[in-house]
Amino acid sequence: MAEKRRYRGRFAQTGIYLGKLFRMFVYQNDWKMLPMAALIGGLVTFAVGTNVFVTQEGTMNGCFSLACVCVWNGCFNSIQVICRERPIIKREHRSGAHISSYIAAHMIYQAVLCIAQTAIILTICGFAGFKFPKEGLVTSYFLLDFAISMFLITYAADMLSLAISAIVKNTTAAMTVMPFVMMFQLLFSGTLILLNGPAANIPNFTITKWGLQSLCALGDYNSQPMVSMWNMIWKFRGYEIEGQKPIEMLTDYIRKNGLRDQFLQETGAYSAVEAYAHTADNVILCWFVLLLMIMLFAVVAVAVLEQIDRDKR
Amino acid sequence: MNDFKWFSIGFQIITDLLLAGGLWMILKKCNMKGWHGLIPGLRFYDLGIVGGRESEGWMAMVFDALNAVFRFGYYFIPADAAVNGVWMLLWMVAAITDIIYEVRVMDSVIRTFDAPKRYSFLWVIMPWYVAAKLGFSVNYEPVNLGRYNDDEELAGTAPADIDAAIDDDPSDDGLVIHLRNRVVRAKGRRRYLLKDINLTIPNGSLVLLLGGSGAGKTTLINAVIGYEKANAQVSLNGVNIYRHYDEMKHKIGYVPQQDLLRLNDSVRRTLSDAALFRLPKDIKPAERAKRLDDVVETLGMTGRDDGLVAKKSGGQKKRISIGMELIADPELFILDEPDSGLDGVIARELFERLRDVADQGKIVIAITHTPDRVVDLFDKVIVLARDSGRVGRLAFYGTPDEAKKFFEKDSMERIVMSVNSTHEGGEGRADEFIEKFAHLKQEGGALSNG
Repeated sequence: MAEKRRYRGRFAQTGIYLGKLFRMFVYQNDWKMLPMAALIGGLVTFAVGTNVFVTQEGTMNGCFSLACVCVWNGCFNSIQVICRERPIIKREHRSGAHISSYIAAHMIYQAVLCIAQTAIILTICGFAGFKFPKEGLVTSYFLLDFAISMFLITYAADMLSLAISAIVKNTTAAMTVMPFVMMFQLLFSGTLILLNGPAANIPNFTITKWGLQSLCALGDYNSQPMVSMWNMIWKFRGYEIEGQKPIEMLTDYIRKNGLRDQFLQETGAYSAVEAYAHTADNVILCWFVLLLMIMLFAVVAVAVLEQIDRDKR
Repeated sequence: MNDFKWFSIGFQIITDLLLAGGLWMILKKCNMKGWHGLIPGLRFYDLGIVGGRESEGWMAMVFDALNAVFRFGYYFIPADAAVNGVWMLLWMVAAITDIIYEVRVMDSVIRTFDAPKRYSFLWVIMPWYVAAKLGFSVNYEPVNLGRYNDDEELAGTAPADIDAAIDDDPSDDGLVIHLRNRVVRAKGRRRYLLKDINLTIPNGSLVLLLGGSGAGKTTLINAVIGYEKANAQVSLNGVNIYRHYDEMKHKIGYVPQQDLLRLNDSVRRTLSDAALFRLPKDIKPAERAKRLDDVVETLGMTGRDDGLVAKKSGGQKKRISIGMELIADPELFILDEPDSGLDGVIARELFERLRDVADQGKIVIAITHTPDRVVDLFDKVIVLARDSGRVGRLAFYGTPDEAKKFFEKDSMERIVMSVNSTHEGGEGRADEFIEKFAHLKQEGGALSNG
C-alpha cells in the first residue's frame, strides 16, 4: 500500500463550495432574488400603509405582512438549490466531497442573501413611511433589533426550504411541496385562524408565529391605541333604541370632552396580547426558538443528503 | 329500492370473487402462490414481482391495505364532523394513490401476458373483468416474466473458480476482478444483479465494456470502483479497492453518462475546483495549475477553456466532465457512454484522447453503444449478457478480434445483438455464449487472461 495522501477536509471544502456559490450568484439567476425581494417588499409595504407602529391594527397588519414577506423570500431562496443539482452532488460525494461542507457553504451563502434581502425590505419600509421607534429592546437600536428578527425569520424559512430541497428528489416535487409549506406557515401562524384545544399548539411549530411575536413585541403592540373599536362604534352612531340614539350620545360625549385618545388607548390596553410583551426576554426567546429551528433544519438537510448515494441512477 | 340494494350487494360479491379468482389464476400461471390473490394488498406485491415492478407492487400493497383500513375503519370512527372530514380526506388520498399504483402494476402484468394495452384502462373501471380474462382464459399465458430468478444456476463459470480466486492474494499488476455475485435486497427479497465475473486487465489497456440494456454494465462498474460493493475482491495494482476504499477512491476516475456539471460556472473554475477536491492537499498551487494545463491539453481544449460551461458544445461538455476526473491522474479511469450524443468524428477524437490516456499506463474502461466506429482503438472487450434468470454474467473477455471469432460476428454491435433477448430485438443467445465462454476458460482456451 502506497503512502496515505491527505485530501482537503471539511473546512477547505466549505470554502471551495462557497466560492462556487458566489460565482453562481453572479452567473446564474440567484441574483434575481434581490430585486424580487424589493418588488414583493414594495407591494406589501405600500399596501399595508403608514399606521405600522402607530396603531395596534397597523402594527399587526404590518408585522404579519413583513413576516409573510420574509417567509416567502426565505422559502424561494433555496427551495430548488439542492434538488436541481442532486446528481452533481452525488458525483461529488463519491469523489470525496463532504455533505456537511456542502450544506455549511449553502448556510453561509444563504445567510448573506437573507441579510441583503432584510436590508432591502427595511429600506423599502423606510420609503413607504413606516414610523420606526427609536429605542431597541435587546440592542440600543430599534432598527437593529427589528433587522435581526426579520433576518432570523427569512433565514429560518430559508433553512426549512433547504431541508425540503435536500429531501425531495427533483424540482417538480419541491415546487409541489412548496405551497403546502407556505400555507402551513401562514394559516397556522395563530393570526389568521384561531385554533382551539390541542390544535392551539400547532402555531408553536411555525416560523411565522415566533417571527410575528418578536416583531410585535419590538413594535410595542400592547402600548398602542386600538382604532377598530372606535371605528365600529362610530358606524353604529345612528342606531336607535326606543327613539333614542345612545351610541351617538356616547361618541358625542367622548369627542366633546376630548376623551377619544384615552378611549383608543383603553381599548388598546384591553386587547393587549400577553405573547407580545414589550420585553427583551420575550424577543430573545423568539430569536432563540428561530435559531433552534435553523439548526434543526440544517441538521435534517445534512442527515438526509448523506443518504444521497442511495439515489437510483 | 330494496331490490336495487340486493342487486348491488350481489354484484359486488360476484365481481369481488371474479377479481380474487382471476388474480389467483394469474399468479398461478406465473408460478407464484395462487392463494395470495385472495389477500388484498399482498396480491399486488406478488403481481409487481410478476411484472418486474416490485417497488410499485410494494406501494400498491401498502396503499391497498391503507385503503382497506380507511374503508372498514369508517364504521368505527366517532360521529364527529371534523373527524369524518379528515378521515374521508385521508381515505380519498389513499384510494387515489392505490389506483395509480395498481394500474402501474397491472400495466406491467398485462404486458407480461402480451394482452391488449386497453386492458390497462379497463382495469380502472372493471378490474374484475381484466383479472378474470387474464386468469381464466387459455389464450393468455405469461410470455415475458419480469420475475428475477434467485436460485437458478446456469451452467457457466464454476463458482469454485471464483472462490479460489478470491482467496488468493491480489495480483500486483493491473485491475483484478473476482466477483462472485452482486445481490440487492429489496423488501425482504434477494435479487442477483451479477454473477461469476472473473478477469484481469493489465495496465495500459483501453477496454470496451459491451452489453445490452440491463446486462449489468453500470452495476459492474459500480462494483469495481467500490461504490456499490459486491461479494467480490477487486484490486488495483495490488491494493484491495474495497479494503482501502477511502484512499483508492482518489485513484479511480468515473465519468457518468450524463454531463453532471454546473452549467453556470466557468470551465476553468470547474476544472480548478475539481483539482482542489481531487488532488492531495500537499500539492503546490503551481503544480496544480500545471496539472490543469496538462489535462486541458490532453483533452484538446487548449484555448477553449474560458467562458461558461453552458456555452460549450456537447463534445466540449463531455471533455470537461472527463477532465474533472482526469485531473486527479487516476490509475483506473471508467467512462459510462462518453460518446452519447456526439457525432462520429467528435466521438472518434474523444476515444483517441482516451487511447492516449491508456498509453500513459492507465487502465481505461469505456461503455459505448456505438463501438464499431472506434473498436480499433481498444485492446480488450468485455461482453456482459443477461441470462435467462435476468442475471448479468460474463459472456466474453478478450481482444476485439477474438470476440468476433468467438461470436462469429463481424461487428461489435452484432455481438451485442446476439446476446440481447428476443424481446429486445436480439437473438436471445446469451445463455449459449455464457456457457461457451465458461467452458472455454475451463479448458484453458487461448483467450486472454479471463
